[in-house]
Amino acid sequence: VGACKAENGVPEAPEFNRTWVERHSVGADGTVYVDSPDGGINGFPEHSTAAAAVGQQIVASAFVPRLCNQCENPPCVSVCPVQATYQTPEGIVLVDQARCTGCGYCVVACPYGARYLVPQGGKSPTGSFGVADKCTWCFHRISAGRDPACVEVCPVQARVFGDLADPNSPIQAIVKAPGVGLLHPELGTRPRVFYVGLDSEVG
Amino acid sequence: MTLRFRGRTLRLVRRGAGNAIAGAGDAVRSEVASQSIGLRRWFAALTVLALVGAGAAVLTVPPGAENFGTTPSFEWGMLIATYVFLVVTTSGLCLVSSLGMVFGIDRFKPVEMRHVVLALLFLLGGFGVIALDLHYPLRLIFGVVLSPSLSSPMWWMGTVYAGYLGILVFELLANMSPYPRLAHASCIVASSFAIVAPTTLGIVFSSLVSRPFWQGSITPIYLLITAVLSGASVLGITFTLVGWLRLPGHGPDAEGVVEGIRRLLIGVLAIVMAYTALRTFAALAFGSAAERSAVEALVRGPLGPQSWVFRVGLGLVAPLLLLTWPGGRRPFAVFVACCLTIVGVFVDRLQFVTAGQITPGAASGLVAVPYTTYSPSLIEIGIVVGACAVIPLVYTIAERFLDLSSPGGSGDVHGVRASGARAMLRRSLGGAR
Repeated sequence: VGACKAENGVPEAPEFNRTWVERHSVGADGTVYVDSPDGGINGFPEHSTAAAAVGQQIVASAFVPRLCNQCENPPCVSVCPVQATYQTPEGIVLVDQARCTGCGYCVVACPYGARYLVPQGGKSPTGSFGVADKCTWCFHRISAGRDPACVEVCPVQARVFGDLADPNSPIQAIVKAPGVGLLHPELGTRPRVFYVGLDSEVG
Repeated sequence: MTLRFRGRTLRLVRRGAGNAIAGAGDAVRSEVASQSIGLRRWFAALTVLALVGAGAAVLTVPPGAENFGTTPSFEWGMLIATYVFLVVTTSGLCLVSSLGMVFGIDRFKPVEMRHVVLALLFLLGGFGVIALDLHYPLRLIFGVVLSPSLSSPMWWMGTVYAGYLGILVFELLANMSPYPRLAHASCIVASSFAIVAPTTLGIVFSSLVSRPFWQGSITPIYLLITAVLSGASVLGITFTLVGWLRLPGHGPDAEGVVEGIRRLLIGVLAIVMAYTALRTFAALAFGSAAERSAVEALVRGPLGPQSWVFRVGLGLVAPLLLLTWPGGRRPFAVFVACCLTIVGVFVDRLQFVTAGQITPGAASGLVAVPYTTYSPSLIEIGIVVGACAVIPLVYTIAERFLDLSSPGGSGDVHGVRASGARAMLRRSLGGAR
């Protein structure tokens, strides 16, 4: 989260993130409590910070990194009235912030909550304010053959980046392994962020 | 020579402009002098509220200014709800008017001239509010033309509403002209737009797979039905005031309009009540988890008190009881019922927008379980208050200067026989008293 903010000029305020980490804690009765204090940039306390989790016994928990799912069928692209959000030939969903009107339609349309409008008074990825912003998979880096910043800094290689169109990419083995899941596959957006060992309650 | 020539020209220009300003000042002074104390207070109150709105609007000008209560997980707030309320009311005004002009129901025929002025003001009010919600409204205007996105419901909505504005302006001019067939034809076209426009607006919401509360084909239909509710209420308020203030056109015809609106409201209120009950039951019994959660928020969650008191109690049940009560035919009862209905529809729009975004989820690192929260800021409230003041302010001015009692421009309130537009022009130029 910190590397993304530093790399991309994401606003410092904790409620504006291109990527964040959620903790899904399971209580003794099976209830799931989700928390993400400051998007996870400062780590997590031992017990869930979710209000409903106070006093509850937690029996299991898992961390779920969230980011733009770079959908193959992205609702954010089809709803934009001025084509400010578009897909590159490689399928990366980007925002032309010089064209964005700040209507917020893409923010509301994204089922993954991956977008925000850049607020005044802080950093801005392109120097524009009031326009839509989201994870680009560090387009400037991957275009130069490098990994996205979050992938590069992850100390346990929990994030892996690769080209799905390349049959020789190491990512092929990962996405074809059993237990790989998608967020909200039922919506038909065909996300291209894959989660290994995704619990069913994550949405 | 040249300088002198320019100086002379400038002096001429200055003298011309000075005369115009002095003339306008005289016209304003004479207009104020001719007003009753009550009307002066009415104008003063609306002007103050309009200035509050203008002040709030100025604060929204820097793109990205953080002065709204919205967040990444609650990106559409009170201004979007107000936009929906205003532009859908525009459709309602045209649909009610079409009962007289298109379907030939005599009772509604006197509505024609007043409805078109009101429809224009509500539509322009809606455009003003949405422009303030957008960070770059000019980019939208140019972008819609230069880089159209046919897959975007918002593009279609913007295009249809731009056409709707054009046809309403044409309808106003046609009503001022001595060509009743032109007025009739324009009313038919405007009525078609009145159906298509809220339908496209409904699709903006109903096409979102990420928002189960909005999704589905019923949303555009619901907006259309409730359009009649708010449009009829605005006309009900206007025509009871026409009678009380003895404005041009008051008399049996205006009373007939009020009675027609009473009957129409009874029917539509009953339909909306039935729809609300069925929708709530269906969502709770058969809806997806997210849709059920949103409806639970309306029934017994954070939106519950507002929903039961304002949307259902004051907005649906109370006006229906009032209008069906034996004394419900009195203009005062109709007036109160219309006011309550308008409040109910506004709260309904607010709850429609908020319930669609309230379901559990996370956005941009903000995790909100079980419900996301949104409170409008004072700036947002100020803009809404301003918009709600500007519309009656301009409408009252139109009542003062134009003859809105019947199409064809039979004369202005001061007895000048001319088309309404010409009368207004003459008066502003000092030609009329």
